[in-house]
Amino acid sequence: MVILQGRGVVSGQGCGPALVTRMPVNFAAAFAGITSIIPGKRAVVQDRHHELFKKNLRNTVLVFPTCTGSTFTGMVLMQVMHDQEAPAAMIVQDADSLLISGTILAEVWFKRGIPVVEYNASDLFDKIRTGDTVEVRGDTGEIKIY
Amino acid sequence: MKLDPEQESMLNGELGQAMSLAVRTLVEYGKAFGAQRLVPIKSAHLVGSFGALPYRAYYKILDQCINAGLKVKVLTTINPRPGHDLNLLNRIAFVRQNYLDHKIQQLGVTLNYSCVCYEQVNIPAFGDHIAWAESSAVQFANSVLGARTNRNSMLIDLCSAITGFTPEFGYLLDENRHGKILIKLKINRMDPSALGFILGRKVINKVPVIEHYDFSRTDLKNMGGAMAAAGGIALFHVEGLTPEAPDMKSAFAGSSPEDTITITQDDLHSIQTKQPDRAELVVFGCPHLTYEEAVDLSAHFAGKRIKKSVWFCMIPEAKDRFEKTDLYQNIRSAGIKVFSHCPLSSLTIQLRRKQVVTPSGKLFYYLKGAEYSDMRECITISGAQ
Repeated sequence: MVILQGRGVVSGQGCGPALVTRMPVNFAAAFAGITSIIPGKRAVVQDRHHELFKKNLRNTVLVFPTCTGSTFTGMVLMQVMHDQEAPAAMIVQDADSLLISGTILAEVWFKRGIPVVEYNASDLFDKIRTGDTVEVRGDTGEIKIY
Repeated sequence: MKLDPEQESMLNGELGQAMSLAVRTLVEYGKAFGAQRLVPIKSAHLVGSFGALPYRAYYKILDQCINAGLKVKVLTTINPRPGHDLNLLNRIAFVRQNYLDHKIQQLGVTLNYSCVCYEQVNIPAFGDHIAWAESSAVQFANSVLGARTNRNSMLIDLCSAITGFTPEFGYLLDENRHGKILIKLKINRMDPSALGFILGRKVINKVPVIEHYDFSRTDLKNMGGAMAAAGGIALFHVEGLTPEAPDMKSAFAGSSPEDTITITQDDLHSIQTKQPDRAELVVFGCPHLTYEEAVDLSAHFAGKRIKKSVWFCMIPEAKDRFEKTDLYQNIRSAGIKVFSHCPLSSLTIQLRRKQVVTPSGKLFYYLKGAEYSDMRECITISGAQ
């Protein structure tokens, strides 16, 4: 088991198989389109410019550099968490305000936020591979890779 | 975070649960970015103007606020409507539009329905703290007016509007408003929208300072909109033009630039469409056209007939004024359609879309398949004769 120490940005605890991408994620583009209203498929990535295209993010631990896109992002993230189809947790190199907003909105208004840990160092993508079982603690910033 | 007694009592639920949740949202949001306090705002601007079917959690929050009798505490404006009445498909996609319009009105929002809120109804003064969400408006308020706002998410904007506060971090603080990247220009034919697009791509999360160029207010609006869309820039300075950059030294607060980027004519030209002949629809107005922009543009079309479809998307209030002029009748006879909805949303919801060309760097970035061309070329493509 490997332990990484990041900065806990949103508290809570989550565990699941890692889904790793080095591409920034645009959630407003990812969770758009017709499948985003189908139960069970709401977190399937619809952004055809992204390498995670057609992947379902539900219950994964999403590992990515940062998020991009419009100020709709917070609402879109909140919606998928509200529907309980979001990733189990997120590990991000640079936690921007739109990502944090979505998670906080889901937690405060619906008690369905997910833990977010920021881990700046560049070895993130060497230490975690897609499919690894990863446990994330948003309160302490601890990342356990099994 | 240190709250004052009023904020503390709001958080504790003395003004009801919805108000308490709104304050808590701002406290948690601020805490994540090291804010020490919540500060009062002069105005808010909301992006949640599309009554799209899937936004159920948004409608739940709106209902909760309205059922609690909450209203916006400060002057609050809102983004354009989506073009829900344009055709059957749009009526289905935005089936909650009437519901949403009603809710927004109940909240006491000023119904300007434009991303360009800063020309008429919501004009912050230099140094004002505000909480806006539309990226192009955030850009204009910060850069051109010298007001202070972060690039807030949808719904964070609503929480600020109904509480009257925003957490103090980011662009509210002096130290984050100083220039970091120097932008030199080697350009003989300026295209502000293309320049904004290129800068958005090249400058990531840093404040750029552009060496002096005598941009008009309209140029700054269209350049800023493109810059905010193509990247995440929420504040730029222009030497000797924008209020926080009387000269290079003050723009960089006495420090040296971290980096220097030179933008050439070739850079601007690189996004220009290679296939102008394929264009079927020319769209002007993203961000919305002002009255003056529409009048200037119309001079190229009045008394002529166009060959391609042409849309003007205008600030609704400006459109109302414009409709009373002879010039408006003239360009309608030329074949131009004048709208006040958001061209991006209405054009996104189409089965088979006409090939769009636009001089808007913002629309070009967001609308899949759209091509870019500068203003002069777009007028030529329209085929006015």
